[in-house]
Amino acid sequence: MLAATQTAGPSVPTWVGVGASVLLVGVCVAVVVREQLGLGREVVVAAVRAIIQLVAVGALLGLLFTHTGLPGSLLWVAGMVAVGARVAGRRGRGVPNASWVAAAAIAVGVTGTLGLLVLAQVVNAEPRVVVPVGGMVVAAATRGTSVVLLRLAEESVVSRRLIEARLALGLPSGEAFAPHRRTALRTALVTDIDAVKTVGLISLPGAMTGLLLAGVAPLTAIRYQVVVMYMILSAVAVSGLVAARLGTRQLFDDAERLQEPASLAA
Amino acid sequence: MLVLDGVSVVRGDTTVLDDVSATLAPGRCTAVAGPSGAGKSTLLRLLDRLLEPTSGQVLFHGSPLPSYDVLELRRRVGLVQQAPVLLGDTVLADLRVGRRALTPDEASELLVRAGLEGMPLDRGTASLSGGEAQRLCLARALAVGPEVLLLDEPTSALDAVAALAVERVVLSLIADGLTAVLVSHDLRQARRLADDVVVLRAGRVVETGPASASEYLASAS
Repeated sequence: MLAATQTAGPSVPTWVGVGASVLLVGVCVAVVVREQLGLGREVVVAAVRAIIQLVAVGALLGLLFTHTGLPGSLLWVAGMVAVGARVAGRRGRGVPNASWVAAAAIAVGVTGTLGLLVLAQVVNAEPRVVVPVGGMVVAAATRGTSVVLLRLAEESVVSRRLIEARLALGLPSGEAFAPHRRTALRTALVTDIDAVKTVGLISLPGAMTGLLLAGVAPLTAIRYQVVVMYMILSAVAVSGLVAARLGTRQLFDDAERLQEPASLAA
Repeated sequence: MLVLDGVSVVRGDTTVLDDVSATLAPGRCTAVAGPSGAGKSTLLRLLDRLLEPTSGQVLFHGSPLPSYDVLELRRRVGLVQQAPVLLGDTVLADLRVGRRALTPDEASELLVRAGLEGMPLDRGTASLSGGEAQRLCLARALAVGPEVLLLDEPTSALDAVAALAVERVVLSLIADGLTAVLVSHDLRQARRLADDVVVLRAGRVVETGPASASEYLASAS
């Protein structure tokens, strides 16, 4: 059971190999101890946690793939959305009801992007595809939503005079805040646009790396990576847009007044 | 025209305005004066519904402010902030923020009213001096056709020459019959511009009446 699957499939280390890699943790501990960094215990805890967490996730995914089918996988993705919403909501806590805004934004971005890929049969609607691809979409949507909410909160404080000058001219809050909403969305998108621009040049991206390790030919592996990069763009754009729109509404009250600044996220 | 009826504003443990009642008459300039922290700017923001009173009410033409559509109200009660806030890249773009359909001819007329006659409409707002920028803000506020103009220390961020230029514009607008509410820490300026005065101290009204008879304003000389 612990033997590696060394047949025609992917080249994966054996459990003995994994055990041997503990030596690398030893290298890190040696550096930490020699340089008296006071991080020795943390390195060991991190290494132990990593293996426990990954074994647990691996076992859980194994159960998911064999027993729960697609519904279980979708539930898993929903769980990831909830975690993402919590993370992005914390980051953007200067926006009232940030967690709910983040949940809606990530859910819409993930459902739209993943749904489109499945409907267009670009990816298969099977657990071993939906879970990892969903994970990548959720991560991108969470990243975009976090940046948008953080920027919205900052803009509402830093640009208060500009926003109130527009409100005082009788502009509705959506228009009064529009330039700042665009700034937030632009900031969220540029990072991923840059990542798409430089893909393959700086480092080999995750999905492609995984496929190469699994023995897939490079020109085949890139097909998946192209889809992943475009999917990330879509997820960030859709989630960012929803977060920007819903977040903007939360910043104003019914009388088109900018709310008093809440404490900004760290 | 604008009436404050027992208005209080409380923020946390601080009472910013305490049971303030005052009438701001139409066609006149009312100065809101008082030391720093007296609640002058807070009072001004109440009149534009940028702030809601904790208790009491503000009436406009006899009706409580919340009975008006807030966007319509803000077009009828304009606000010029303390330091110039420019919203467009060019003079024309800035004037059009509150009124998109503003024609170049109408824009030029507004510039004349604001003492900026001859200024090119395509001039970049980044190149304007402080005084020019504040007068452009006045013109932009006038572009939406307000009945009342709220002026929140409109010259405090300007040098003496620029401040005088802005003052001249405000005086001409008041002479044309516009109702104005002026918050100013400059008592001499308040005496020059205002017909009436409301003096606040620690959030309470301590004096109201004609500016010419105000003891508080007289203390400046």
